[in-house]
Amino acid sequence: MKLAGHLALAVLLAVFLLAPFIVHPGLVFIAGFAMIQIVFALSWNILFSYAGLVSFGHAAFFGIGAYLSAAALRYGWNVSFLLIPPASFALGAFAAFLVAIVVLRRANGIQFSVLTLALSQLVVVLIGYSPYLGHDEGISAIPRPVINLGIATLNLANPLANYYFVIGVGLVTILLIWLVVHGPLGRTMQAVRIDPERAAFVGIDVWRLRVASFTLSGGFAAVGGSLLAPWAQIVHPDYVNWLASAQPIFATLLGGVGHFWGPVVGVLGLAGLNYFTRTFVGISEIVVGASLLVVVLVAPQGILGALRKAARKRKAAAGAHP
Amino acid sequence: MILDAQGIEMSYGALKVLHGVSLQAEEGRTLAIIGPNGAGKTTLFKVLTGERLPSAGTVRFRGEDVTTLPAFRRARLGFGRTFQVARIFSELDLMANVVIPIEARIRAGGGSAGPRWRWTPMPEVRAEAEGILERLGFARSRWEDEAQFLSHGDRKRLEFCVALATRPGILMLDEPTAGMSPSDRREMTRFLARLKTETGITIVMTEHDMDLIFELADTLMVLNYGEVIAAGEPSQVRDDPLVKKVYLGHGAQHA
Repeated sequence: MKLAGHLALAVLLAVFLLAPFIVHPGLVFIAGFAMIQIVFALSWNILFSYAGLVSFGHAAFFGIGAYLSAAALRYGWNVSFLLIPPASFALGAFAAFLVAIVVLRRANGIQFSVLTLALSQLVVVLIGYSPYLGHDEGISAIPRPVINLGIATLNLANPLANYYFVIGVGLVTILLIWLVVHGPLGRTMQAVRIDPERAAFVGIDVWRLRVASFTLSGGFAAVGGSLLAPWAQIVHPDYVNWLASAQPIFATLLGGVGHFWGPVVGVLGLAGLNYFTRTFVGISEIVVGASLLVVVLVAPQGILGALRKAARKRKAAAGAHP
Repeated sequence: MILDAQGIEMSYGALKVLHGVSLQAEEGRTLAIIGPNGAGKTTLFKVLTGERLPSAGTVRFRGEDVTTLPAFRRARLGFGRTFQVARIFSELDLMANVVIPIEARIRAGGGSAGPRWRWTPMPEVRAEAEGILERLGFARSRWEDEAQFLSHGDRKRLEFCVALATRPGILMLDEPTAGMSPSDRREMTRFLARLKTETGITIVMTEHDMDLIFELADTLMVLNYGEVIAAGEPSQVRDDPLVKKVYLGHGAQHA
């Protein structure tokens, strides 16, 4: 099972890295988009599968990165685009920190989730009032930047350079998220999720841990958002609203709750479903919705959960009849 | 005096459950709190551990007033605690269950448990965790097992590992033998006796099992309707006529 998992991961990485050479541009666009969604979904899953918090408004942080990046490019800010993902992280994390210290002070559980939803919808409304952010139409015709690396320049107007920029930043972010949740901080997060009271009795400051988790998660979501502007060349409030906030939830439920790689499987599954049903005008949403329903009813632990269960069963059966 | 509670009062609405209870736990000694159901043992225990704020009274730990200190701060000062139903990090393996409190203790003390991006515990942390698991009888082959598949008795033992990993100055045990079979009870009694002699740790516990209490307790305190009706050496308290009337005579059938 472990070997199969590593193998699947290696194949997946190879597919992402080689995509421009093996599939047509339409699919390459979907692959880049999937990478952005993967970063977003993994950032959400830090909260859900590790810290035990459910955010219903996570697209607000994704939107902070997306709009920061879009404004920087559209209005020609005089900064290297290399600084935009880290700046997005800082801004997203700061916003998340403010939300956390206000909301987590009094609420956790469902009240917390609903408050995050309300605050994210407030962000949508605020964007609608802002001419700088393009009201409801968003920021479009975003130019792709030329990045000066000192020894060489990376022109993202070149589709290949653009693709590898998104994949590269995405992979680095995934690695960082992996390190965060597998280190001492991740262990502490899990302790708090499993039993906050027990965690307090071994000396863990539960409130502080939750604030830290939410801050980190908001920062990583904004990094995902910052990749949207050069990739899609348009950023609008549909990327910030409640439906956008639902995407990482769907991906995690589909892929497997409680697994680090669950959201990755889920995003790819959803992208695949969307791709293969794209020609069935009108019933595409029905197919996607029905698939989610089937997963929740047949395999409530998601795809990875079902695979792990099957592997355990096979192992048990092999043990019984050697 | 490691733990000193004075005049603890507690009300749930109009219902007053503790009427000015005082108790002292001496360094290295074991204090057992007994009393019939509804006597206020659990509430008193929660006040002592920081889960409930008393309506009146003070709790001092090593001379410091900790009455309003939340549970995690008390844990950092040296309160270790177990629950009636063992509470462990059930989805994690045995090793992680012990590593988490060790790392929390090191960080709270201002020390370094390794860089944040290190995904395996530091060698010192791991060695300490191994020592604790070994001392409490968990074989190396089981360290990577998920805690949720442990038996009832093993869960209790793992909870002691978790509590001891914080290096507590005082162990607060809420009915350590609750829900155990007679043989598990005897094993727990032997285990606590060993722990006491080996580490000289202070223990405060609530308990129903009289065999365990007379084996371990240096001081016995009897609570009835939120008041201390007797306290002292277990053999003296046992012979107190009032205690016999409200508790022991009744409880003797179980013992």
